[in-house]
Amino acid sequence: MKSIVKNLNQEMVVFLLFVLIFTIFSVLLKGFLNASNLVLLMQGVSVLGILGAGMCIVVIGRGIDLSMVATMALSVAWALQLNGEGMNLPLALAIGIAGALLVGLINGLLIAYAEIPPLFATLATGACVYGFGRFQLIHSDLVYVTPAVGRLVELGQGRLLGIPMPVIVFGVVAAIIAFVLHFTKFGRFTYAVGDNYSTARVTGVPVRHVLVGQYMLTSIIAFIAGLTQAMTISSMNTRISDTLLIYDVILVVVLGGVGLTGGRGSVRNVVVGTLLIGTFLNGMTIMDVQYTMQNAIKSVILLAAIVIDTMINPRDEQTSQHGDI
Amino acid sequence: MTALIEVKNVTKEYRGVPAISDVSLTLEAGRIHAILGENGAGKSTLTKMIAGAVMPTRGEILLDGKPAIFSSPGEALRNGIAMVFQETSLVPSLTVAQNLYLGDEKPFNRLRGLYIGAQQFLQSLNFPVDPAANVSTLGAAQRQMVEIARAVRKNARVIIFDEPTATLTPEEKHHFFELIVRLKGRGVAIVFISHALEEALTISDTITVLRDGQHVITDDTANFDRDKIIRSMVGRTLSDQLYNRDPAQRSRFYGRKMLSVQNLSMGRMVRNTSFSVYAGQITGVFGLIGSGRTESAKVVAGVVKRNFFHGGIVRLLGRAIRFRTPRPGVREGIAYVTEDRKVEGIFETMSIAESIHIGALAASKSRSWLVNRREMRDLATRWIGALSIRAINSNARVLELSGGNQQKVVIAKALVQEPRVIIFDEPTRGVDVGAIAEIHQIINGLADKGLAVVVISSYLPEILNLSDRILVARQGRIVEEFAVEEASEEKIMYAAVH
Repeated sequence: MKSIVKNLNQEMVVFLLFVLIFTIFSVLLKGFLNASNLVLLMQGVSVLGILGAGMCIVVIGRGIDLSMVATMALSVAWALQLNGEGMNLPLALAIGIAGALLVGLINGLLIAYAEIPPLFATLATGACVYGFGRFQLIHSDLVYVTPAVGRLVELGQGRLLGIPMPVIVFGVVAAIIAFVLHFTKFGRFTYAVGDNYSTARVTGVPVRHVLVGQYMLTSIIAFIAGLTQAMTISSMNTRISDTLLIYDVILVVVLGGVGLTGGRGSVRNVVVGTLLIGTFLNGMTIMDVQYTMQNAIKSVILLAAIVIDTMINPRDEQTSQHGDI
Repeated sequence: MTALIEVKNVTKEYRGVPAISDVSLTLEAGRIHAILGENGAGKSTLTKMIAGAVMPTRGEILLDGKPAIFSSPGEALRNGIAMVFQETSLVPSLTVAQNLYLGDEKPFNRLRGLYIGAQQFLQSLNFPVDPAANVSTLGAAQRQMVEIARAVRKNARVIIFDEPTATLTPEEKHHFFELIVRLKGRGVAIVFISHALEEALTISDTITVLRDGQHVITDDTANFDRDKIIRSMVGRTLSDQLYNRDPAQRSRFYGRKMLSVQNLSMGRMVRNTSFSVYAGQITGVFGLIGSGRTESAKVVAGVVKRNFFHGGIVRLLGRAIRFRTPRPGVREGIAYVTEDRKVEGIFETMSIAESIHIGALAASKSRSWLVNRREMRDLATRWIGALSIRAINSNARVLELSGGNQQKVVIAKALVQEPRVIIFDEPTRGVDVGAIAEIHQIINGLADKGLAVVVISSYLPEILNLSDRILVARQGRIVEEFAVEEASEEKIMYAAVH
């Protein structure tokens, strides 16, 4: 028993919290524990989960990408608009992806070569992407999905073996990122760069290329998330860049235990964090809790998870010196 | 002599594992007490208990015969016990005077009055420090002076120094020792934790040796010599193998000229220096701090860039090279083993196997982008065996290892890249006595295998023990070269000081 308590880390705490809340909701809330609601629960957070899985790549590399939501919104809106104006679908998507990649490339170059802190670099590029995109590329805030997308709409509204496609996309994206992080050179280097940039550099890791790669990969994931989102709700609202969504993304990443100090955690942590948040949002929606109240509760959960983790795993001298963030 | 502090049978356990068990110690006013021991012997834990930074699990500490277990360093300080940490606890953005009075400012502080007071106080201690200077602009020795002044100002009767001389140059050390002697004259009890045995032998009145958290011996310094201390520290005589060169060992012959450096310049640190490194022998580089030896090595390995204009020429096997990052250096077979493991040597979240594997991946020329976990484990097993890294298994985190084993992991991470030239910067800094000999053996083995080995060290016995050829650096340039047979500590030191 003692060893179980000892091995309890934030991920386990959050997972147990998830099980606990899930059980409580199942017992107390009518209509929570049935198949259609659980499907709804997962579907509700799958886009958030995809974004979180993408974000965790840069967070493991001791960075952060605040431009992710803007990239997602604008690249997808652009692709949809081009497609709606008569461009064929593959080309429109390719242009959208190229746009997203360009943002990732700029982020990476700013961070790796100009050595601007990721927080500021991506905050600025995010604002640029939204501003420039609305100014030059996209004619209205809201871009509708037209019938021209054809079967692609299945990505948002289809089902596979009864499971909604967004959930499947989340699963596939998470699996791919987990594979990349653990079984490719790029993934190992990402952990090395996040753990200790100087050590990685002296060891001969191509640190700058790895950083640029991380931000480009994250941008592609943003595009996938955006596409899934647009196909689900049949439109893409570029104003989403102005919402607090980016903080929710960081929430699911950090909640699951991916350390902002870099080098710690994996996609698994993001999945656990997403499950917890999904359960909460779903339960509170059934209970008809106000949106603002939901936000307050979410932040309390995050704090609680971090506090419990700190109590169980006291920070050693090392972390207390560098700080956790 | 009166006992100022009595430590009686204290034990400190972390999660049931004792870091200190049943240690007793007496500190007397006006005496310097050196505490020695390997890394992890419990020196810091013991002194932190006296200074209130760590609470003992069992046992008692008496100050003037009254129980004195403090719950915080602040409380200990109010009772006259101060600890000067290795990494100083000053606020770098404040001035010296502000740091001195930190915590006792009046509600309306007049800076001018503060500076005048601080100036007088520093002068009374004979410290040449400008009270209006920002702490961030001071050198290590001056920072230490400020720390000490702060302790004295609080009327500390006991001052504990944790590895005070690690960051000091020889001149600064000299000043520091003068200072300690002066404090001793004022009747302060001084505790001195150090790795440098000679320092303890010259400066202290009493020596206590700890081993594995247990008290081994306490005696007057006059009754100790180097061998005896080392015997007590490790429980066996190591000094023969440790720093004395085997007289049968001849210096190795010059192999191919691997590296030739001509007129290298880098900022203010390296000025127009030239030297060569040969395969199959160990080139020792000695120099005091500020002599530019680390910087020269880092330029060669690509860790820092040389001057763009008039930067000089570096040739690897006759071909001119210029690396902007360490990666091409690694790929050309130049490995640099850092002097500062924490900053650029280890990955703190990674296991031994993962760390070594990163080294292999970074050097690998194969185009495959997939990694093979099995290969990683095999690699780890092989290197743990080859360098006798002591850990539970290859999944142990590098951070949890002792200094010596961490260093071995860093070395393994470099060796796995199959370098042709390997540069060791202070290879035994922060390494426990037991592991020093092993690391020296590893280095010798590399030269025997035909690698060009460079050892940078500021510890003369180490240079003399390891090198086949000794270069001496002074003020950014190599000024003297010796074959080991003709070198002596005096000759080298004479060349190194300016």
